[in-house]
Amino acid sequence: MAEVRPDEVSAILRKQLSGFEYEVDVYDIGTVLQVGDGIARVYGLSKVMASELVEFPNNVTGMVLNLDEDSVGCVLFGESTLIKEGDQVKRTKRVASFPVGDKLLGRVVNPLGEPVDGKGAVQFEKYMPIERKALGVIQRQPVKEPLQTGINAIDAMIPIGRGQRELIIGDRQTGKTAIAIDTIINQKYTHTEEAKKYGVKPVFCVYVAIGQKNSTIAQVVAKLEETGAMEYTTVVGAPASTPAPLQYIAPYSGATLGEFFRDNGKHALVIYDDLSKQAVAYRELSLLLRRPPGREAYPGDVFYLHSRLLERASKLSEELGGGSLTALPIIETQQGDVSAYIPTNVISITDGQIYLEPNLFNSGVRPAINVGISVSRVGGNAQIKAMKKVAGSLKLDLAQYRELEAFAKFGSDLDKSTQRTLAKGARLVELLKQGQYSPVPVEKQVLSVYVGTNNYFETVPVHDIKRFEKEFHEYVELKYSQIYENIRITKELKDDTVQVIKKAVEEFLVKFKKS
Amino acid sequence: MSVYRVSYRYANSLMQLALEKGIFNKIAKDAELLFTTFSFSKELRLVLKSPLIKKSDKKNLLSKIFKKKITDETGSFLNFVVDKNREDILFEIFKEFLNLRDKKEGILRAKIISAVGLSDENKVKMKEKFEMKTNKKVLPSYVVDPNIIGGFMVEIDDTVYDASVRHQLQLLRKKFSKEINVSNN
Repeated sequence: MAEVRPDEVSAILRKQLSGFEYEVDVYDIGTVLQVGDGIARVYGLSKVMASELVEFPNNVTGMVLNLDEDSVGCVLFGESTLIKEGDQVKRTKRVASFPVGDKLLGRVVNPLGEPVDGKGAVQFEKYMPIERKALGVIQRQPVKEPLQTGINAIDAMIPIGRGQRELIIGDRQTGKTAIAIDTIINQKYTHTEEAKKYGVKPVFCVYVAIGQKNSTIAQVVAKLEETGAMEYTTVVGAPASTPAPLQYIAPYSGATLGEFFRDNGKHALVIYDDLSKQAVAYRELSLLLRRPPGREAYPGDVFYLHSRLLERASKLSEELGGGSLTALPIIETQQGDVSAYIPTNVISITDGQIYLEPNLFNSGVRPAINVGISVSRVGGNAQIKAMKKVAGSLKLDLAQYRELEAFAKFGSDLDKSTQRTLAKGARLVELLKQGQYSPVPVEKQVLSVYVGTNNYFETVPVHDIKRFEKEFHEYVELKYSQIYENIRITKELKDDTVQVIKKAVEEFLVKFKKS
Repeated sequence: MSVYRVSYRYANSLMQLALEKGIFNKIAKDAELLFTTFSFSKELRLVLKSPLIKKSDKKNLLSKIFKKKITDETGSFLNFVVDKNREDILFEIFKEFLNLRDKKEGILRAKIISAVGLSDENKVKMKEKFEMKTNKKVLPSYVVDPNIIGGFMVEIDDTVYDASVRHQLQLLRKKFSKEINVSNN
């Protein structure tokens, strides 16, 4: 235990007291008429603004959501049992806002910006309102830089650009969060000196956990700390035990922090994990505020709830600094039903989606991405040229494979070319398997995909593919490291590089020992 | 429709009528009388709210209580409200009427809370200060509340001017808990 000397304490107290001014304080008040279920009706507060924060007794804060003729409807961010009828409510004259600043990186905070990681008060630059209008057309430019997830299947076939909104959708236990965490971990490279040399700008991450178990959040934070990713990441946590209003505002708080980085010309990645729980929290709140329910009992503005959030993802024009805010919303489906209300809404808002399927997951294809129906509508422009060149045929090969796969199950005699397509497909699927927390840099991805699509695997058995890939990367690192260097600098796959790769593969194929 | 909206309609029309006939001051006096009577007599409010009592009985009752004490116009207004089945919000209507009168005449009602009783000199001074500040006529009422320890508080509508010692201490506590971080090293 650290010792606190009494004279030190009194010195601090004296210093604080000297700056304390005695003056008349003017504030507006109201009276609680009714309280319950996390909602309070307040009389008075005549000049209060919509979505303004108000102070209740016992350190409970609330937010004004309904402005009626003779009363004000507030949602409570704390226990409603601490408040009783007749209590005094004070205005704060501050609309719901979130503290922003570089010092928030590495911290775990709640949606109001209060620390929950026990590391003391949060240092911040300023408060920014959590609800901000999304930028217009003039302030934006097309998405053009890649955001590398480090996951081969995504970076090759469903590329994500900086400023894009890509939905991750799937049933429970299909690895949705794993993809998001891997993506955060992979941004570590962008913060290195090496990345700076190659013109890759750092990406700051915000992970918003909504309605999750506290243990899951702790696990994620521990993993991020272990991999050193917490240095450039803020976790905004609204676990399942927090009141619905806090879960409802959590993604907006995360977006606000992301916008702070974006507006300063930096790049930000915000992960909303997950928005279906946020919609449920908002439904609870709306029903308690007696707003009329609609489909699946969600209120009428549940589409706007998500559209205004995801529209804030953007790539700024060069005049405004060229910063970007990438959004990776996560939606959990029930029994693979993507035609439910919330999934269809979010699918239509985002620029593409990554489908994760439980049967793929269970048959060992991990990440369990269904590449057939996953798309990225803008990311293609953001891929580096080298990847674009090699990935084109990968998609085609896999599509052909899936088509023939059904036939092959009959076990009938197949002709040579069909067998070849099947064999190649099986090897490509094997190649795209990847362990958790092991992101791969883009130059290695390019190399793997190149080798896979150019039939070099024909003689390698399926169960040896991953070992082949690993050893081949090591081999290239040792003998032909100029391949990686060339791709990193030029971001293209020039003919002379291709020649070197061909030479390297042929050499290695001879040396490779099949098991 | 909310009670607020309905009572505002009735109160406003009563006021317009009074202004038209030039008997605003008389009616305002009646309203004050009615308002105080209603606020002191819970039985009367309950009777008016009860659906079991006939309209005619309610009318008789009202005229018996207030006869000769109020003008004919106010009396007929009471009957009119009863006819319209709005007698249950009579209290709110007169409350709203008094609010409207205050607004029209530029009167602010201030509740001045102090830890000890104020001297007459101070009372006058304070009233003048607030009249200067708000440019309106201030009608103060005084409350002594030792809980605020020292200083005073003034409540005007929803706004509080707080110069109490209790509030200063609360602010101090907040400031300390926010800014002082005794770190572990």
